[in-house]
Amino acid sequence: MTDSGRTRLSHRFDGTPGSPGIGIGPAFLLSVEELRISRRNLSGPGEVEREIRRFDAALENTREELRRLSKNVGDLIEGKQLVEIHMMLLDDPTIRRDVQDRIINDLVNAEYAVSQVLYEVLDRFSRMDDPYMRERAADVRDVGRRVMAQLMGSEREALLNLDHPVVLIGRDLDPSDTAGLDREKVLAFATDKGGSTSHTAILARSIGIPAVVGLREVAEHIQPGQTVIVDGIHGTVIIDPDQDQLHYYSELQARYRDTEENIARNATEPAVTEDGHKVELSANIEFSQEAEQVRRYGGCGVGLFRTEFLKLLAPESDDEETQYAAYRHVLETLSPEPVIIRTFDLGGDKFLSELEVSERNPFLGWRAIRVCQDRPELFEPQLRAILRASVLGNARLMIPMVTHVEQVVGIRRQLDSVADMLESEGHSVDRDMELGIMVETPAAALGIDLLLPYVDFVSLGTNDLTQYTLAVDRGSPYVANLFDPLHPTVLRQIDHVVRACHAAGKWVGICGQMAGDPLGVPLLLGFDLDELSVALTLIPDVKRMIRVMSMDGARDLAARALKLGSARRIRRLVLDFVIDRYPEVLLETVENGEDGE
Amino acid sequence: MTEKKVTVPNRLGIHARPASLLVKAAAEYASDIHILFGGDRVNAKSIMGVMTLAAGKGSELTIEADGPDEREAVEALAAIVSDGFGED
Repeated sequence: MTDSGRTRLSHRFDGTPGSPGIGIGPAFLLSVEELRISRRNLSGPGEVEREIRRFDAALENTREELRRLSKNVGDLIEGKQLVEIHMMLLDDPTIRRDVQDRIINDLVNAEYAVSQVLYEVLDRFSRMDDPYMRERAADVRDVGRRVMAQLMGSEREALLNLDHPVVLIGRDLDPSDTAGLDREKVLAFATDKGGSTSHTAILARSIGIPAVVGLREVAEHIQPGQTVIVDGIHGTVIIDPDQDQLHYYSELQARYRDTEENIARNATEPAVTEDGHKVELSANIEFSQEAEQVRRYGGCGVGLFRTEFLKLLAPESDDEETQYAAYRHVLETLSPEPVIIRTFDLGGDKFLSELEVSERNPFLGWRAIRVCQDRPELFEPQLRAILRASVLGNARLMIPMVTHVEQVVGIRRQLDSVADMLESEGHSVDRDMELGIMVETPAAALGIDLLLPYVDFVSLGTNDLTQYTLAVDRGSPYVANLFDPLHPTVLRQIDHVVRACHAAGKWVGICGQMAGDPLGVPLLLGFDLDELSVALTLIPDVKRMIRVMSMDGARDLAARALKLGSARRIRRLVLDFVIDRYPEVLLETVENGEDGE
Repeated sequence: MTEKKVTVPNRLGIHARPASLLVKAAAEYASDIHILFGGDRVNAKSIMGVMTLAAGKGSELTIEADGPDEREAVEALAAIVSDGFGED
């Protein structure tokens, strides 16, 4: 089989922008089991030999794995027989010869050769009359999977020993794929799965490399080594670009770098409106390494430090110490600016395998504070780490998904007892550390007066608040068009919460995506929010908007918006307001993807 | 080359366990050994080949071997089959 008869065309795929910037370079494919194994054509005898060696090594390692397995099954006759059959399949001379023949004659990589031989064998099994024998296909598949895993293991090794920079392509990047990755060698990410808040996107943003996610089927259309353009600004991937495209994107890349430098220059300007009203503008972060970036982008602290990833990335590690090191780094780097650490928001769409439960409505189920209060072994190390770090800077603690007063009272009590315990162990803790809640359910928004006596501050999570208020899962393509944080009922709740907080003398911020939206910023200013917390990369844009606006104008806009009866009309009103007065804001704002709670 | 015809006597025919017995036995001999059945000719040292013969009860197999120990090999494998693989 050759490709000579086919016309070469560049392919364009559209996905979701995951992290801004342009990356251009050769593709490195992360093979994943379900993925159709990619075919790579070998260049000559050297490569053929290498692939055969890889195949033999994979067989030997699988044999070793089965031997270990056979010891573990102990005296179970059935288990031993099964392992024995698996071992014989592995040693089968015809299969081995078939794979070698394919590598040599078809000049293809070992993975591809194995997969083709497996397909044939499985096909033969599936056509057998005897149902018992048909089921033996499962054994073949099992052995095949083990060999494949071995082959890909060696590929992973290759990933860790890259000698030139690459664009990483895969169905999805697992934390295990990216752990230990040499960042200097990765030009960009592109994945089939994921949204703008997926692990891949977050990781890419935190280390500042371009990424496009949610491409659905890009991985199976790319051959390793093919040139790929990843446009993380617009969410586009181009495979095998022509000269014009290469030229265009190289220029775009250079322009983007200029913008980046411009950002750095504006970072020191204060976030003050034209008429002198100062707004706290802070950053949403998820990795401790991002702390250094907060100042670079011009943020004045952290309004949301997501901690789930400390857990998801290193589930096996010593919880308390790993977390302590992360909190300590962020607090010390940014001191005396405040750092709001949000306790684990696990569940919903962020699972830890040990906590994975089957629920019909995960977002109405066991998530965030609900998980933490049920699992002291998970939560206590986190509270200990935060309290220990609290003396090193300006730490604040924030609880997500609060709906009931008892939850806050319970946390207060638990914090006290953990603090007592730490002090008795000789640690010093900040007993006055502020405790706040996220208002992201209608229960917390409408019942804010019931919760305020127990908290020091409040932060609005407008993504979830919108989802729960409008009963819309924006991940569902059937209803996503109904999702709108500018819906009158969401704005009314924001207004209500801000008024209640100020009446009680407490400060209120927002860490939702709305705070980084050019249409959200004037409204939120008008509602008198004390703090806006946005994704790192959005800080410069939001700051620029704040600096050209007047507080009077924003308040007037917010009052008028509250009188309108539909999200569509409110959107129109705000859009006209911005276009009329600050057209440059819309023109200058680069689509930076989305990020927020 | 030596060859011998045998009939599969056991109720289940050559399923996984009998196949593994044959392959294990075949591996003891240096000769090339093949089993012929229903127009197929498979390597007796290949578990995949022997399993996919799908030889049920009453099937007539031909075992052929070529090599230094072909006679012994054919006898040994034929004995395993006619013995019904120690089943039934």
